[in-house]
Amino acid sequence: MKHALLLFLSADHLHAQHMVSGKIAVTRDFADSTHGREEFRSFLKSVKCPAYLLTDLIEEDFRHELVPHLTGRKRAALLTRKFEQYYRGTPFRQATLLHRQKSGRRDDDILFSALTNPTLIMNWVAIILEQKIQLIGIYSVPQISAPLVKNNPSNHILLVTWERYSGLRQTYFSNKHLQISRLTPVHSALTFHDAVVNELSRTFQYLKSLSLLPTDQTLDVLILCHNDDRIELQVKLPETHDMRYDLADISEIGQQLKLDYYFSDSDASQIFLHYLAAHPPKINYANATHTHFHDLGRFKTALYLASAVLLLGVILWVVDNSLRSTEETRETSELKTETQSITKEVKQITSAFPNTYAPAGDMKAGVSVMRKLNQYSPPPLRIMSRISNSVGRYPQIQLDELSWQLSANEPVASNTVADVPARVIILKGHLVDFANDYRAVLNYLESFQRDLEENGYQVTVLTRPFDASPTGSIADQRDSTSSTLSFAVRLTRRPGINEVPDINRPPT
Amino acid sequence: MKLSRSDLPILRWSILAACASALISASMIYLNSAHIGNTHNELLHARKMRNDARTRLVAAHEDRDNMSIYSKEYGDLLKRKIVGDEQRLDWIEGMEKLRLMNLVWDFRYNISPQKTYTPNPPISSGNFDIRYSEMKLQFDLLHEAQLVDFFAALPKKIPGWYQLEGCTLSRSAPAEENPAMSSGVQLKAECTGGWITLKNRNPQP
Repeated sequence: MKHALLLFLSADHLHAQHMVSGKIAVTRDFADSTHGREEFRSFLKSVKCPAYLLTDLIEEDFRHELVPHLTGRKRAALLTRKFEQYYRGTPFRQATLLHRQKSGRRDDDILFSALTNPTLIMNWVAIILEQKIQLIGIYSVPQISAPLVKNNPSNHILLVTWERYSGLRQTYFSNKHLQISRLTPVHSALTFHDAVVNELSRTFQYLKSLSLLPTDQTLDVLILCHNDDRIELQVKLPETHDMRYDLADISEIGQQLKLDYYFSDSDASQIFLHYLAAHPPKINYANATHTHFHDLGRFKTALYLASAVLLLGVILWVVDNSLRSTEETRETSELKTETQSITKEVKQITSAFPNTYAPAGDMKAGVSVMRKLNQYSPPPLRIMSRISNSVGRYPQIQLDELSWQLSANEPVASNTVADVPARVIILKGHLVDFANDYRAVLNYLESFQRDLEENGYQVTVLTRPFDASPTGSIADQRDSTSSTLSFAVRLTRRPGINEVPDINRPPT
Repeated sequence: MKLSRSDLPILRWSILAACASALISASMIYLNSAHIGNTHNELLHARKMRNDARTRLVAAHEDRDNMSIYSKEYGDLLKRKIVGDEQRLDWIEGMEKLRLMNLVWDFRYNISPQKTYTPNPPISSGNFDIRYSEMKLQFDLLHEAQLVDFFAALPKKIPGWYQLEGCTLSRSAPAEENPAMSSGVQLKAECTGGWITLKNRNPQP
């Protein structure tokens, strides 16, 4: 975060520092008095940025409890009930899930905690809300101390720190989980190392009495101190099997955290403020009312972001479409050029046309119709000559009548043209000079029929000279005239492929 | 988070920004869509115009080919008065010329009113209606070759197209029954057919 307001609240004092890009820009201190609060109000008017409130108060209570593992509304209802049960009088309360038990009902091990003297905080929070400062959360020093012991191998650690305006803070962690924390005010008459020496033994006894520290368990004591105090502590801390001391140089920790701050004493406030700004815990003592302006700020940011994303998305869409549109415009231009070129070519071709009687399509249609009709209607010579040739080979046949018609309904034989009508010829005649040789008459007629068939005709005998079939009746014909040996045949023939004029060529 | 009326001043600019963003976005989308639509329509129109031009080019090539193939023959059809209105006077004058040529012993004809002709099998006739004026012919013939000669001379002497559909040739009755036989008439023939004319449905001015 580019701008942030870090607030460190002790019982009678509020320290404020305006951070810009991770560096301290302004620091101010305010006493818990009417005048101090007025000054704070004035200060906030000039610093409008999100704020973190870190409390370091004696009145902070911790309570462990195993509760059934619940989720959703049931869990919320359970926690509310517990809060009302333990911390009815304060709005600054929280429940931190330490871990879930691995056996039995697998209950949740929850650390309930609260800032039990809300009046110490409310005055300051009211000013913050009055100035519409985005309060991100309300935290406590024990709550954010866990990172300092994270890499320590011990499972029973007592973290000892000193904050100038609040006092000596001793926070006990079991298995890296916060258990209890004590704050002891350090009077000006007492030095830091003397206070540590005095309080350590008391705290050890306190932990023992609460059975938080197992029997015969050595307590690892991690003390954050300035190098000067470290030397004093090394001398003054009593040698005992119950406690093992680890004296961490606060300046080195500051360097590890890349803090742009000079530590002149053992005050660890800046360490905690840095941790808070860098890794604020999700769970804190603030409720929705306290973080209302921060929520509004986030909502406002979300709106700005959504607006920007929407606008950016639309701009990208428009750019993409415009690129495509440009491509289409280019293609349109090319098409127009091509069309002009083709139109010019068409004009050149059509201008070279002779001044004709009709459009070329009509010419083709007219000519094609007449060529086709020419195929339909053969000249009489073509029909008659073929019949004449056959009749000429049978002198005993006298033709009485010859008729022909065109018919499209006759069956199509192989090697004949289907789309040209067939010629249907009716040939009537009579046989002469056969005396009464009826067998010869029939044979002669059959021979004539075969001759016609060999010439491509399909022959159907319509009338025979006489009916020699079992169903017919025969009368004596000795005295009858030759016309009694009359017959009629029906010939059908479709022209062969090579017999019709080619439709693709002009008629000769 | 619960919002109240007093929160509006804080959110005012962000809400305005969101509204402005939505409005600008909607306007940009609308305008751009309209522009894209126009561009796309222009492209489609240009494609259609190009395709039409290509079709016209193909048609022009086809017309050029057709011109070279069919122009002369079509000219002949015009010359023979097959295309256009029917010319009955030409036909009957031609028939009389044929009569004077004495190709047959005698013949009679009868021309019926014009009607639309439907060839069987059908023929695609393009822009033309095929008109048909039936003409029946009756002949007195000395021999069948006269009929052949008559139909060979008909197209040469009469401008037009006579579509012969069929004929019936039969021997005449003996002289005692038919006086014409005494003059040598051996055959009688009756032929059916009709004069074909092509009438353009979209005649050029």
